[in-house]
Amino acid sequence: MIDELREKIDKKEVTSKQLFEEAKNKAKKYQEDYNCFVTILDEYMHENSTSKLDGIPYGLKDNFSTKGILTTGSSNILKDYVPVYDSTVYKKLKESGAVLVGKTVLDELAMGGTGTTGHTGIVRNPWDKTHMIGGSSAGSAASVALNIVPFSIGSDTGDSIRKPAAFGGVVGFKPTYGRISRYGLFGFASSLDHVGCFARCVKDIAYVTDIIKGQDEFDMTSLPDDNKIYSSTLENDIKGKKLFYIKEACDINLYKDSKDTELLETLKIFHENIDKLREIGFIVEEVEFGKELLDALYPTYMTISCAEATSNNANLTGIQFGPRGEGNSIEEIMFDARTKGFSELIKRRFILGSYILQKENQEKLFLNAGRVRRLVVNRMNELFKTYDGLIMPTSGGIAPKFGEKTDQLSDRYLILENHLVIGNFGGFPSISLPSGIVNKMPISINLTGRAMEDDLVLNMAYKIEEKLGYKGLLKEEYDV
Amino acid sequence: MIEKEKLELYAEKLLFKMNDEEYETLQKEFDVILKQMDLIGKIDGISDVEPMTFPFVTYTAKLREDEVKNTLETEDLLVNAKHHDRSQIRVPKVVE
Repeated sequence: MIDELREKIDKKEVTSKQLFEEAKNKAKKYQEDYNCFVTILDEYMHENSTSKLDGIPYGLKDNFSTKGILTTGSSNILKDYVPVYDSTVYKKLKESGAVLVGKTVLDELAMGGTGTTGHTGIVRNPWDKTHMIGGSSAGSAASVALNIVPFSIGSDTGDSIRKPAAFGGVVGFKPTYGRISRYGLFGFASSLDHVGCFARCVKDIAYVTDIIKGQDEFDMTSLPDDNKIYSSTLENDIKGKKLFYIKEACDINLYKDSKDTELLETLKIFHENIDKLREIGFIVEEVEFGKELLDALYPTYMTISCAEATSNNANLTGIQFGPRGEGNSIEEIMFDARTKGFSELIKRRFILGSYILQKENQEKLFLNAGRVRRLVVNRMNELFKTYDGLIMPTSGGIAPKFGEKTDQLSDRYLILENHLVIGNFGGFPSISLPSGIVNKMPISINLTGRAMEDDLVLNMAYKIEEKLGYKGLLKEEYDV
Repeated sequence: MIEKEKLELYAEKLLFKMNDEEYETLQKEFDVILKQMDLIGKIDGISDVEPMTFPFVTYTAKLREDEVKNTLETEDLLVNAKHHDRSQIRVPKVVE
């Protein structure tokens, strides 16, 4: 973790270059089995700095622009794209002295939650290769879970940081919408896209966020800096802080006829953990959120995100960048480039987006989804008048196995597997951290707080991590 | 089930082609998605609120000075285009 590496560098027990070489070698060693990276850098690139991250190696999701370094979005349509400018996040990390080890694999164009749709192949779960790591920030999660790098950067539109973090047994955080600049991040659904990070403890998440947050003149949606140092308030007293969990998802009696032992075990551990949080002074209560609103979360997310994605990706034509298509007219060239460049899943998402945006469907689908989004956010803001945070199981179980079928109309799928979108709808800061082991795989707990209160969310998460005892979790064989 | 012809029309507008097998998967997927989307319309009070397009209103208090700046050089912009000639991207003739 960062403090240990920092100490070793400062005491000259190791050099930053040695750490980079070690990370690079591990990245190469695990590449065939886990496929974390699209690009592993050979060159050690380091700018001197006095920051906490000086000399620390990290991974960056391959949808952040890096000048002169291949950036593919894990899509064939950008397989040879080399950006001519830096994303703000990459620029800030460079200036802080952090050392880039590689660009990590994502679900194609960040549209997916399985880690199986990147153009260079599937990403596997370090805890068990027969399981997914989840996505879309699949390689970023796996590279931290494999202890290749102490932290990595991801993006989160529905749950793309917090879910793979949960499945990989690491910490994943997306702050308030606009807290970190999106300049240079390939847009998926601009009103939902957040930048965030992965690490093995909450403190490291705070260190990284302290460096990459702040207003950016190149991103009009970025927030004025709150001028807080999140890593300095982690020890604040949390006694009396009030949290709630959603009854319609977490009440174990709802599942009494269920044969899903993994779900039951996950919920049992969740409630045991809630009791532990009460022991350290949190007040935790069960709240009825509204079943109709919860059932509508996933379709609302799909409607908004697919519609925005269809529009955001219209520039991928193979003319300005990407492989040039064949044909006798501009239209034929674009048809060919887009037909060959996008995978089947992306095409299906775009068609859904196009369907939603048709004149006859706009009111019923697109605008109504925006209205549901407002009702959900209103409900959260009403609850945030009483409570400091929402605490939930990040997922209803462990990482799924490849090829495992899910019933996409079940309550478990619609609510327990998709409630994290609430954080994107309202731009609320939200963090997932390891909270137990089921069937030798990690499970996780998620905490979501009021917009702008990133410091309080990290402070509460730090205390939760301390109590639950999974700080720095690693599968034993990677603890070297 | 949603008609294949309708889906083909959307694909045409989006400038890509799909094969028969892909359309079949998409039709099945639409069956589930449309059922999920029905859940959106069932919400009480939905017509009383305005659609939300961003998480919250942010005010940009400070605008940069209105000065002309070149952020990228032309040759940089052309670096990723497969066919270009001097300062322009080359494409087939548009006007015959």
